Amino acid sequence: MNQIRVLLADDHTLIRAGLRLVVDRESEFTVVGEASDGRQAVALAESLKPDIVVMDIGMPGLNGIEACRQIREKMPDTQVVMLSMHSDEGYVLRALKAGARAYLLKDSAEADLGRAIRAASDGKSFFSPAVGKVLLEDYMRTLQRTGAEDSYELLSPREREILQLVAEGKSSKEIAGLLNLSVHTVETHRARVMQKLNLRGIPELTLYAVRKGIIS
Amino acid sequence: MPPEKSNPTVRDGDWPTPRVRWVLAGTFVALLALIFVSGAAATRTLREMHQEEENARLILADRGQQLTGLFVSVELYNQDIGRFVGYPGARPDPGIRQELEQAGAELLSQLNRYPAVRQPQEEDFLKHLDDLYRRHRELYQEALSGSLTRDLMADQVLGMRAQILDWSGELNTWNGRRLQQSDAALLAQFGNLQSTLTRSLAIALAAGLLLVAASMAYILRLERQTRNRYRELAESRHELERLSSRLVDAQEEERRAISRELHDEVGQSLGALLVDLGRLSSSLPADGAEIRERLQHMKALTERTVGTVRDIALLLRPSMLDDLGLVAALEWQGREVSRRSEMEVAVESANVSDDLPDDYKICVYRLVQEALNNAVRHARARNARVRVAGAASGIEIEVSDDGQGFDPRRTRGLGILGMEERVKRLGGSLAVTSAPGQGTRVKAELPLPVAAGTPA
Repeated sequence: MNQIRVLLADDHTLIRAGLRLVVDRESEFTVVGEASDGRQAVALAESLKPDIVVMDIGMPGLNGIEACRQIREKMPDTQVVMLSMHSDEGYVLRALKAGARAYLLKDSAEADLGRAIRAASDGKSFFSPAVGKVLLEDYMRTLQRTGAEDSYELLSPREREILQLVAEGKSSKEIAGLLNLSVHTVETHRARVMQKLNLRGIPELTLYAVRKGIIS
Repeated sequence: MPPEKSNPTVRDGDWPTPRVRWVLAGTFVALLALIFVSGAAATRTLREMHQEEENARLILADRGQQLTGLFVSVELYNQDIGRFVGYPGARPDPGIRQELEQAGAELLSQLNRYPAVRQPQEEDFLKHLDDLYRRHRELYQEALSGSLTRDLMADQVLGMRAQILDWSGELNTWNGRRLQQSDAALLAQFGNLQSTLTRSLAIALAAGLLLVAASMAYILRLERQTRNRYRELAESRHELERLSSRLVDAQEEERRAISRELHDEVGQSLGALLVDLGRLSSSLPADGAEIRERLQHMKALTERTVGTVRDIALLLRPSMLDDLGLVAALEWQGREVSRRSEMEVAVESANVSDDLPDDYKICVYRLVQEALNNAVRHARARNARVRVAGAASGIEIEVSDDGQGFDPRRTRGLGILGMEERVKRLGGSLAVTSAPGQGTRVKAELPLPVAAGTPA
């Protein structure tokens, strides 16, 4: 069985130690390095080429979001699990835009880190359950305030299916294979979903899916 | 800093005492009085001179009349004497005698009527005239009694007549001189008056100049003092502004330090505690249900504490400003307030640069934070709207709510003062418009430093 190579990046040694214990508990994970700030994380990721970087969002110097962006740009095969204290959509959306696959709240890191690393290494998204809850609440409140219809109701079953698969991190080609459709059809459905939900880009789509509880 | 040290140049002695004012006013009044008095004196003197001249003229005219009357009487008398002397008969006609005696009486009465106040020349003249007349009377009596012939008398009388004409000529000349003399006296008096007037005028002028100079000096001094006061005031205001700006800086710095401390020390320890607790509970043997429950409880407590510490740290230093930038941080704040209160916050932004200097980000963030806080706590608003718009010249921030409002002229809480302080420090302006029942609108304009002016 292939070992999943993990790089830990957090400016707090105690937290890093805790994370290392959690990661080491799982036999399929190996911690290959530890970084104490964003710049070091980028440098280590480049030299160690880990499968997963577990990254704290708030670090001195270069913060986690920027470090994530740089790592994803330089090494598209390395996935990032973002650790944060904030469940706010501002953070979640930023992290997603920077290319993070998973978004974990520090409170629940101990319980969810293993699942998150596994999901990310499979190219899937993962979010702490509390994040989805907060995002959904905010979303519902915005809907109430603006009096807008829930645009999810506008989607056809096929479109919902595709929304979920896209949000999980699948490419159009993979989706076409799964649903037995042509890539072109998938692309068309995807474009219509984006248009109906008034979304720009995969990060917003993923955020929407988390908000709606379609993925977690 | 002790208050008197901040303004060391202000002393009570600098301010002019009211005495100077009174002295100036007194001098002014005295000057007016001087002009008035000398004017009045001049007018009175002129009137007196006029009176005197009039009197002198009257007296002279009176004299002249008297003299003329006298001469006429003398002439008539002489004629009568001539007729008396030249009468051909041995005894003159009684008519002629009577006329002569009448003319004599007339002459005498004229002599007596001459004004009692006389000059020595007049006195002499009148005395001579009187003597002559007496001589005439004696000669006449002798002629009447026959002891003197009329021819002899005629010789004597004619001589006297020439004498009288001589004297009267002298008297006339003398009278004319009198007139000249009185004119000269008047002229001298007039000259006196003129010099008195000139002197008073000179004094008044000098006093006036002195007064003007003193007033000018006084005014200049006041002006200088006012300018000094103004400069001191401006300086101390500037000092105050610098001080409060430093206060804001210090406060922000302190908050940042405490926040970092909380985040780094307390947060880290709590996080590590959580991880340990989790590991402990998962490595527990299956039968330790009671311990597992206690561990669960400890974990929940720790999680709550982590949340509290995070909230406090965020309040002290909004790390999302560093992590997400201004707009995202404002949106976060809006959602955060919506989550925690009964008020819904909508955040709109346009053209806001992510490269704003830290001062500006903090300022806008704190401003919005304070305004939203006020809207929730004091105005009990249901909805609030935050609008931030960037332009090349600066940023415009507006926070409006539908709360109960207040009267900004009466109430000016520390919150608004704090906002004002922050905005003013960066050279901006703040306007709070509100009225009871009308909601509140806080509007601020922040000019940007030239380098940071272009939106990203």
